[in-house]
Order: sequence, then structure tokens, then C-alpha cells
Amino acid sequence: MERLINIDRRIIFVFIFFGTLVPLLYPTPFPIEPSKEVRSTYEEFERVAKLNDPAVLLSYSYGASTEPEIQPMVVAILRHCFANDIKVVGICLWPEASGLAQPAMEAIAAEYGKTYGEDYAFMGYKPGLQAVIINMGQNFHDAFPKDTRGTPVGEIALTSNINSLTDFDFIFDFASGDSIEYWWIPYGKREVPFAGGCTAVMAPDLYPFLQSGQLKGLLGGLVGAAEYEALIDHPESATAGMSAQSITHLIIIAFILFGNLAYFATRRGA
Amino acid sequence: MFFVTRTLPTLLAFGFGSVAVAIYYIPHASAQTIESELSLWLRIVYAFAYVLGLYSLLNLHADRIKRRIPGWGYSLVAAISFGVMFLFVAYNDGNGPFAPQSETGGYQWIFTYVHVACSSTIFSVLAFFIASAAYRTFRARSVDAAILLLAAIILMIGRVPIGRAIAEFLPVLSSWLMDVPNLAAKRGILLGVSLGAIATSLRIIFGIERSYLGGGGDE
Amino acid sequence: MTRENNLFLGFVGLFALVNVFLFTTGKLPADWTGAGTMLAAGLTLALYSFLYRDNPLFKFAEHVFVGVSAAYIFGITWYQSLYGEIVVRLFGIGDDGNSGNHLLLVVPTILGLLMLTRFSQKIGWLSRIAFAFFVGVGAGFTIPRYISAFLIEQMEPTMRALEWSADGFNAILILIGVVAVLVYFLFSVEHTGAVGKISKVGIWFLMISFGASFGYTIMGRLSLLIGRIRFLLDDWLHLM
Repeated sequence: MERLINIDRRIIFVFIFFGTLVPLLYPTPFPIEPSKEVRSTYEEFERVAKLNDPAVLLSYSYGASTEPEIQPMVVAILRHCFANDIKVVGICLWPEASGLAQPAMEAIAAEYGKTYGEDYAFMGYKPGLQAVIINMGQNFHDAFPKDTRGTPVGEIALTSNINSLTDFDFIFDFASGDSIEYWWIPYGKREVPFAGGCTAVMAPDLYPFLQSGQLKGLLGGLVGAAEYEALIDHPESATAGMSAQSITHLIIIAFILFGNLAYFATRRGA
Repeated sequence: MFFVTRTLPTLLAFGFGSVAVAIYYIPHASAQTIESELSLWLRIVYAFAYVLGLYSLLNLHADRIKRRIPGWGYSLVAAISFGVMFLFVAYNDGNGPFAPQSETGGYQWIFTYVHVACSSTIFSVLAFFIASAAYRTFRARSVDAAILLLAAIILMIGRVPIGRAIAEFLPVLSSWLMDVPNLAAKRGILLGVSLGAIATSLRIIFGIERSYLGGGGDE
Repeated sequence: MTRENNLFLGFVGLFALVNVFLFTTGKLPADWTGAGTMLAAGLTLALYSFLYRDNPLFKFAEHVFVGVSAAYIFGITWYQSLYGEIVVRLFGIGDDGNSGNHLLLVVPTILGLLMLTRFSQKIGWLSRIAFAFFVGVGAGFTIPRYISAFLIEQMEPTMRALEWSADGFNAILILIGVVAVLVYFLFSVEHTGAVGKISKVGIWFLMISFGASFGYTIMGRLSLLIGRIRFLLDDWLHLM
């Protein structure tokens, strides 16, 4: 038993590797039932879609390290916006987000036949974290004088009438750090509905804000993205990963239970 | 000299801090203008902080190369990689450094195929180690540890699609765990952290907390 | 030749063979996209080689990443902030007449430059002025917003009116949990008697929350792994 507890960790690595690989190659489709926090995010975008000339701010606050978790959310939400003629303004609060979000916006906008400057615009990154949010709250044109193409925001049809955060109908942040909890919630504008998508690691910390209404909805990790893909009826990479996610969870649980059994067996024997 | 090196920065922190607090409560256009200006300044100073961090990193590797510290070859690799990427940054797909940033070209190519690939891989390696650590150390040694373990297991099954296939109540139970006990504990932590942050901010403004000034150089 | 060297050469050889196959069969296009995918796959595998043990291939990839990231972040900071806001808006260089002359930007520019004196032995103290601004304004912005968003807004839903329903029961549990956790963190009072019992309840709530965080952390890390394996199987090997 002692030897089993102290097995070479590389044996566990092999199990995890094949537990990921095999379901990706031969997936078992498990039905995906959206959770209420994902559903409420979806409903918020649906509400915005019914408004006259709706515009949302998508804040990209994620980096390459969490790209596999966040990028599927970005794609799913952009699809939902463009399919419902919601105008999208993109900004980045993390430097790496610029290189990840911009290609996604361009690709999905092209798919839905959207025009830059009228249906969507990309402002790029500004350093300053919460200071950028305060700045946008007071004066959007001061925070982002030009878009990434060098066009002044006042000359872009979509942003010319946006003077501050309160001119947006909805704000959504894609986060792989503190941006939802410590930047947007305290420094954003309470009167503008706000929701977020974050890595699974951060999701449990954000539940107090769902109950208080400071967050209208939440997409937590790849599972949240897969649930959103199910809601917009467009299964993509997140859905494809759910089989592997399920199997690897079972493998780890099996290891934990086995480790505990072995531990108690050794203690009884001692 | 002490006034300039110690007292003046403390007075400045007090002045700027007090103004930043006050303008929040003043519903006047001029207060909003000051807030906008201060946040813009803060953003720009923040950009210089990046340069400071970059200098620190490059200095570290240059020092390792200069002094031939074991593993200096890897520092050379980091320096060369920096140099190559820097050239593409300055080249800006033919537009040069004094033009809006290009959306295509070598810079974007290296970002996509080197930076994104490495960054997400390094973090994904943790999946293996967290699995190994869970097997070796996650033990129900006490009631408290057993509660933690049970909550983790319920969440891990209940939040993935297979959970519903195993038992209908698992997603419901995991959702309740998140919405009630987890929420309560996280809110308790949040209230404590917020009170701590507010207290620290007050200490900074009133000059009680001055560790940000660092030591030496003024005596 | 050691076993390690053989493994290393075998790995590199196999990687080369696979890529030759992928390019010759047209699965990887013979262009910059194909070359990029091959490079990304190579770096991914080199970094995963750490799972076997620490090795030069891993260290090489790791340091390539460090160098590239530093230059990338500098590039973004330069174009979006230092160039876009200081060079253009303050000095008017590269301006098309639409940016507006923002003379007040001279203040944060000077403060930023003062920050860079941090590494100087002689004039390093000047950076304290910049840090005083940075920390002072940051602290000033924090106080009212934290009181509003974290204290007031979080206290209100904790103390909702009681009702005879499942939601009402949950609301009581949340109230008990929040109070018990706060009591647990009250270190100025000895945790004995009633306080000890309440703080014990606080520990149970905390344990459930830590369990949730642990479960979600495993979920997150596995999602990242799934993303990378998907890249190798789909984008590189075209097996999916």
C-alpha cells in the first residue's frame, strides 16, 4: 500500500494525458444543460438585442495563458451579438488580449457580414487597469482617443456618440485575472448592466456578486463557454472539449478516492 | 534633503489621495474633469511602470550573461528572442515605430505561434501536477478536510456534463453548494479583504504606511 | 552517449519526420501558417518534456517565451500608450491633427520618467515622487469605491427580509455563514465558548468554499490542457 501511495507521478501524468487524448479523438456526446448564471447572461444579451440601436462594450482582460478557456467564450458571445445585430465596441485591459481578441472579432464579423466602424470597432489596449475604467466612465474619447487603425473615435460612426460608459447598453468582461472583481465592479458604472466570463479558477469568488446583482451573469471556464454554445445552438471548441473534461474529472476523482483508501488502509495496518 | 526625499512624497500622497477621495463625493462637472485627468495620468505613469519592469528583466539576464553565471546560455536565448521580437515590433510591418500598430506581419506571427503556444502550454502543465498533488495530499484526515474533499468531488462531477448522466441531483447539489455555502464564505472573505484594503489606503494617505518609498538614498 | 541524449535525439528526429510527412502530404500548408503551426507544436512538445524531467529543451523553450513576451508587451505599451498618448498627443509627432494638444500630459510624462530613476544609486530617490502619486491616487480611488461596491452592496443582500420558502432558508444560511466566517477571522478575540463554536461553523463554510475553489481550479487547468492537446491533434496533426 505504501508503494501505491508513493507511485511515480509520471504514471498519473500518463492517465491524465490519455484521459484527455482519447475522448478528444472519440468523443461521447453528453447533453449540456446551461446553468442559471450562463442562462442569465444569454438573456441579458437577448434583452439588449430588443433595444433600439443596441451597443455593448466587450472588455477583453485575458491573456494567452488562459486562451483555451476564454477564447471559446469570446467567439460564442461575438456570434450571439452579431447574429442579433448588436453593435460591439472592443477594448483590452490586458496587453496580450489585443492579439487574441482582434483576430476573433475580425473573423466573426466577416462571417456575419458586419462592417468595421458601423457594426463593430476595436479600440485596443491601454495600460492602467482600473484607471482605464474610471477614465472611460468620465470620458470615453479621452481614454481611447483612436482605435487600433489610428482613426479618431469621434470619426468612427459607432463610437462618435459614445461619450462615457453610460452610453453602452451592456458591458461584458472576459477575465483571466482580477478585472471583474477588483476593476469593473468597484470602478465601473453601477447603472450599466454588467456581466462577465472568467476562468474556472476565479468563478467561485464571483458568486457573491451574482446574488447582489452587481453581476447579471457569469460564464465560468470552458464549461461556461460550452453552455453558452449550447444556448446559441452553435457547438464549437468548448463543446468538443466537454467529453475530455468529464473523463479527466472522473480520473482525478478516482485517484483521490484511491489515495484515501490506500491512506486509511495503511493507517489501520500501522 | 530629508524633506525632499521623505516628507515631500508623503505630502504628495496625502494631497493626491485626499483629492481622489473627495472628487468621488462631489457631483460637479469640475470634479469629474479632475477625476478623468487623474485617471489619465495614472494610466500613463502605469505605462512607464512596464518599462521599469522590462529594464529589470533585461538587466537580470544581462548580468547573468556578463558574469557567466551557470545557465547563462539560456539568458542569451532570452536576450536573442527579445531582440528578434523587438526588431519586428520596431519594423511594424514596414510602417516603422512612429505609426499606428500594424495588425499583421511578423510581430503578430511570433505572438500567435510562439507567445500564445508557450504561455498556454506552461499553464496547462499544471493540470498534470495538480492531479498528482491531489492524489498524494488530498486526504480526509479530519472532519474539516473531509468537508473540503467532499465539496470538491461534488463540484467536479456536478459541474461537467457527465454529472447529470450519473445522477440528476448532482448538478443541483453542486449549484446549491456554489450559491449558498460558497457564496457565504466568499462574501465573508470579501468583507474582510475590503476592510483591510480600505484601512491600508487610509494608512497610505495619512502617511502611516510608507513602505512604497523604499529604503536608503536619502539619509 | 547517455540514455538522456538518445531520448533527446529520438524526440527531435521523430518530430522532424512527422513534420516532413505533414508537409509532403499537404496536411500542413507550405506557407507561414504551416511553418508557424510546426513551430508552435515543437515549442508545445518541448515544454511538455518537463513532465519527464527538467531538461535543456524545456529550458530553451521557456527562455524563448520570456524574451518574446517581454518584447511583445513592450510593443503593445509603446504603440498603444507611450507613442499613441505621449508622442502623438503631447508632442504632436505623427499626428493627423485629430488628436488634440493635451499639454497637461507633461505631468504624467515627467512622473513616468522620474519612476525610471529607480535603478540609479544617486537620483533613485526621485522615483519616490512618482510612486507617491501612483500609490496616493490609487489609495484615494480605492476607499469610496470599495465602501460602496464591496461593503454596502454586499451587506444589503446578506440581510434580506425572511420568508418561508427555500430562498428564505438559503438567505438565513448565507447570513449565518457570513457572520460565522467573519467571527472566524476575528483574531482579537479568543476563540473559546460561543465564539469558538461560531468560528467552527465558519470553518465548515470556508472548507466548502475552498473545496469549490479546488474543484474549479482542477477544472480550469484541465481545460487548458484540453486546449493544447486539441491544438496538437487538430491544427498540427489533423487527426480530429
